[in-house]
Amino acid sequence: MAKAVKIISLFLILFFYLNVSFPNLKHERELFLKYNFIDSALPSQFIKPLSLEFEGLCSDFLLFKFMTFLGGRVEDMKKNNSKYPKYIFSALDTITDLDPYYWDAYYFAQMFLAFNNDPEGANTLLEKARKYRTDDYRPPYYIGFNYFYFLKDFKKGSQYLMKASRLPGSRYYFANLAARLAVYSFQHRDGIIFLEEMLKETTDKRAKKEFQLRITTLEILENLENKVSEYHKLFDIYPVSLKELVKNGLIDKIPDDPYGGKFIIMQNGRVYTTSDMVMKRKKK
Amino acid sequence: MNKITALAVLTFKEGIRDRALAGIFIIALIMLFATILFTGLFGHELGKVLVDLNLSTIAFAGLLLTFFVNINLMAKDIDKRTIYCVLSKPISRTQYILGKYLGLMLIVFVALFFLLVFSAGIMYFVKSLYANIYFKDFSWSCYFQAYLYEMLMFAVLNSVVIFFSSISSSSFLTLLFSLATYITGQTIEEVMEFFKKETLGKQMSEMNQWIVDIAQYVFPNFSAFDIKTLASHGKLMPFSHTAALLSYSVVYTILLLFLASLIFNKREIN
Repeated sequence: MAKAVKIISLFLILFFYLNVSFPNLKHERELFLKYNFIDSALPSQFIKPLSLEFEGLCSDFLLFKFMTFLGGRVEDMKKNNSKYPKYIFSALDTITDLDPYYWDAYYFAQMFLAFNNDPEGANTLLEKARKYRTDDYRPPYYIGFNYFYFLKDFKKGSQYLMKASRLPGSRYYFANLAARLAVYSFQHRDGIIFLEEMLKETTDKRAKKEFQLRITTLEILENLENKVSEYHKLFDIYPVSLKELVKNGLIDKIPDDPYGGKFIIMQNGRVYTTSDMVMKRKKK
Repeated sequence: MNKITALAVLTFKEGIRDRALAGIFIIALIMLFATILFTGLFGHELGKVLVDLNLSTIAFAGLLLTFFVNINLMAKDIDKRTIYCVLSKPISRTQYILGKYLGLMLIVFVALFFLLVFSAGIMYFVKSLYANIYFKDFSWSCYFQAYLYEMLMFAVLNSVVIFFSSISSSSFLTLLFSLATYITGQTIEEVMEFFKKETLGKQMSEMNQWIVDIAQYVFPNFSAFDIKTLASHGKLMPFSHTAALLSYSVVYTILLLFLASLIFNKREIN
C-alpha cells in the first residue's frame, strides 16, 4: 500500500513538474524559432543526392515547410524586407529541382515573388516550368503577365501571352489580351482578368481574400479612371482632385480604398492609391 | 528445381515468422493511413502528393524489409548453424543461394503486394474526398508502373544482399556493404553528371575518368528504377524503357547470384 502511495505521489510530482515545465519549453521554443528559424534552403546539389529515391517526398516536405514558414509571415513580407524574396526564391528553386513538374511550387513563385517586387525571380522559375510542363498554358501566361504588369515590357508580355493562347486549356481571351497589349499600354481590366483567373485556382482562404480585395480595388481604379477621362472629354483638362468629379456629378462620392489608403489623381490623369495596395494597419 | 522451391518456401515461412516483419508492416500501414491527412494539407496537386506519399511508403517498407529482415535471415543460417542441416541434404550450394534468393524475393513481393492493395484502397478513398480537378494528372497505370519498377529495383537489391552475405559472415557487415551499395547506386548518376559538368572544358584526369567508368559498370544504377516523381505527374514510361530496365535488372541479378554462388562454393563454413 505504502509503495503504491509512493509511486502515485512520485507520478503526481512528475506530472505537476511536467505541467510547469511544458509552458516554459513552449515559450522558449517560440522565442527560439522566432529568432533562429532557418529561413534558408539547402541547394539542390546537396538535397538531390541526399534524398535518394525519395525526391518527390522531399519536394512535398520542403513545400510544406515553406508554406508553414510563410504562413505566419505574410504581413512581414510586405515591409520591404529584402531577405524573404531571396529565401522564397532559393526554397522554390530547390523544390522545383527535386520535382520540376510541381505546379504548386511554381504557383507560389508567382504568388509570393512576382507580387513582392521580384518578378524576374518568378519568371526564372516559371521558365523552368515551361521547359517541363510543355502542355501547360499557365507558365507562359504568368510570365507574360509579369512582363507587362510588373516589368512594363509589353512586347515580351504579348509574346508570352500569344504562346499561352496556343496551348490546350487556355482561355478564349488570352489571344485578345495579347493582341491588345501589343498596341495599348496596361489597363486595369487586364489585371482584374488575371486575378480572377488566379482566384479560380486557389483554395487558400487567405489568398482568396487577398485576390478579392485587389480585384475590388482595381475595379474602383478602373471606374475612377474612366470617369477622369470622361471629365477630360468634357472640360479638356484633367481634374486636380477627385472632389471635382463629385462636384461635377460624375461620381456620388469618393470611394474608400479597401486597403485603407486614399485615391489620388496624378498629373497624367491616372488614378493611384496611397496604400499601394498594401493593407494599412488600423490605428489603435 | 523442387529443391530450390522447397528452400524458397522454407525461407519465406521463416521470414514471415519474424516479428520485425510485422513491425515494418504496421508502420507502413500507419504511414499509408497518415497520407489521408497529409494530402489535404496541400493546395493544388493533391494527386501528386498522394502518389508520392504512397509510393514512398511502399519503397521505404521494402528497404526496411530488405535491410533488416532479409539480411538477418541470411546471417541467421550461419549464426545458428542451421545451414549444416540444409547443406547435409543432397542440395548444392548454388541451389542453396538460388533458393534463398527466391525466398527473400517472395517475402518482399508478398509484403509489398499487400501494401499496394492497401494503398490503392486508401488512394481510392482520398480521391473520393476531393474534387476531380485536384487529380488532373493522376493515373492508376502510372502508379502500378512505378510499383513494378520498384519491384525490379528490389530484385537487384536483394541479389546484392545475397552477394555480400556470401562473402561476409557478419550480418552487420552485410548491412553496411548493402546499404553503401544502395546509396552509391541511387546517387551514382548524379555524381557522373556532376563530374561531366565540373570538367566541362577542362581535361578530366585519366585516373578520374577511369574510376568513373569502372564505378558506372560495377555499381547498379538504382536511380534508373525510380520513376516515382514522373508517375506522380501521370507520365507513363514507354514500353522500350520498361523492357530495357527489365533486362538490366535480370542480367544484373543473375550476374550477382552467379558470383555469389562461386564465392559461396569456395567458402569454408566453420
